[in-house]
Amino acid sequence: MHGLFRWSGKWWPGVIPLVIFWAIAAWTSTEPLEADLAQRSTAALKDTILDKRRISVAGRDVSLAADAFSEDGRQSSVASVEAVPGVRLVNDETRLVPEAKPFVWSAERDVLRVTLSGSSPLPASKGRLMEAARANLGGVEVVDRMNLSRGAPPRFDNAALLLLDQVGKLKDGKITLSDTKVSLSGMARELGGREAIAAALKNLPEGFSVAANEVKAPPYIFQAYKDPVAVTLTLTGNAPDNNVHAALVAAAGRRFFSEKVVDNLKESIGAPSGFANAVVPALGALSRLSTGTLVISDREVKLSGDALYEAAAVQIRAGLGKDFPQGWQFKPEISVKPAAAPVDATVCQQLFSELLGKARIRFEPGKADIVADSAGLLDRLIETALRCPTANIEISGHTDTDGDEAANQALSEKRAQAVSDYLVKAGLPANRFSAVGYGSTQPIAANDTDQGKAQNRRIDFVVK
Amino acid sequence: MAYLTTFYWGWLLGSALLGFGMGWISVVQHGEGVSRKLRWALSALVAALIAAALARVVPGRFGYWLDLGLIMFALYLCFCAVGSWLRDWVVSRSAPSA
Repeated sequence: MHGLFRWSGKWWPGVIPLVIFWAIAAWTSTEPLEADLAQRSTAALKDTILDKRRISVAGRDVSLAADAFSEDGRQSSVASVEAVPGVRLVNDETRLVPEAKPFVWSAERDVLRVTLSGSSPLPASKGRLMEAARANLGGVEVVDRMNLSRGAPPRFDNAALLLLDQVGKLKDGKITLSDTKVSLSGMARELGGREAIAAALKNLPEGFSVAANEVKAPPYIFQAYKDPVAVTLTLTGNAPDNNVHAALVAAAGRRFFSEKVVDNLKESIGAPSGFANAVVPALGALSRLSTGTLVISDREVKLSGDALYEAAAVQIRAGLGKDFPQGWQFKPEISVKPAAAPVDATVCQQLFSELLGKARIRFEPGKADIVADSAGLLDRLIETALRCPTANIEISGHTDTDGDEAANQALSEKRAQAVSDYLVKAGLPANRFSAVGYGSTQPIAANDTDQGKAQNRRIDFVVK
Repeated sequence: MAYLTTFYWGWLLGSALLGFGMGWISVVQHGEGVSRKLRWALSALVAALIAAALARVVPGRFGYWLDLGLIMFALYLCFCAVGSWLRDWVVSRSAPSA
């Protein structure tokens, strides 16, 4: 032992090469060691859920900075790195992800993109939401502005996924989930979309509820265009169901006696209440115009075009709004068609016969009240009468043979008088017209069929 | 420690061989050793460095270099002792026969 002590006094010269060894070892090994420890630490944290993870190594000391989603997760991440062989110290710079109160998540859609913002509980659920958004909204750009926060309500993912589905049904708008309350605003993409969203919201996971649903339906549009060149009436837009659709087409057929009705209507739910009751009189008003367009958007009715004469324009402007159900608005833009060139009496007679050959003035059964459907025809008769201002006209009423002859005679007279009154009310001088009833004495068809009888019940205009 | 040895076994082996060689030589070397006073001072310095390393007060890369230096120095000393003792044994065995 004493020898060892003596010899040790002479060991110092070897320290000089040892120091050189040490310097070279330190010089060459530090960076590979740090890289190796960084890689091992990263591997150790592979299964730990952390956000903004940053690992830096100086010598054998590892600095771990990360946002953890629970206190346990935070501690276990530090412990995992401490357990990595070779690590001397862990500088713990971890913290807990901030808690959001209330926990708000939202998806906003505009024309170009869908933006997801607010809080999301975990990176995995954030990824899942982004993936679902891309899949559901095919082709639309999805922007991720979500933060990670603690404090999400249970079953957040399910609720958010269901709401993302609804974003697909919006044209634009925003869906917000604040804790367990859902608020929606915006415009549905299609008619019926609002109802579909409301139905889907019933499947929200337990605990979630709808605080406000202000999704609006797109305007319910109905359009009719009367084309005097093609002699067509084109119906486009929506009708609420099969029955209303058929009724509208039938009503158009009755009112537009010379035009071909082109039916391009689609059936969609979401019509405003009183839809049919507004469209039918509006079509009646359109039938009185020489050319015109009817646009019904929700409860707003816009009718534009040219009336055949001034009094008709005034009647349409003032009268149509009264026929609408409550809450409907009427915006007429009616001008008057320039008066047609005057013609002589013979041409006038020809024009009357042509018009009355296409359609008949119709009355309430057994009465002398002109039905509203005939307004278009009467306007055309008045326009024609205005073209031959010097001609005197006999308005003759005829009936079929059904019923008592005297009654038929009286009815035919009354009906002829009603038409004459109508013309006078439209501004024509009363002395140009004589109303005559012929009862069933001048049939133009056999009275043994319904069709023949219908032909015999008529008003004729005879230029004298 | 096990991690470091596997990572640097080359440098550690070098230190050990150097120590063994130095120990081997020191037995028969004629010359002045380190004075008693200096020896105490050096021991105190090494003890302080070991204390610093164990307490992990030196941060980052310097801490790592200190650990590395101390491990290499410890191995050097151990093998100096082994070398010296072996040489002494060889010398004392051959001396009576000579």
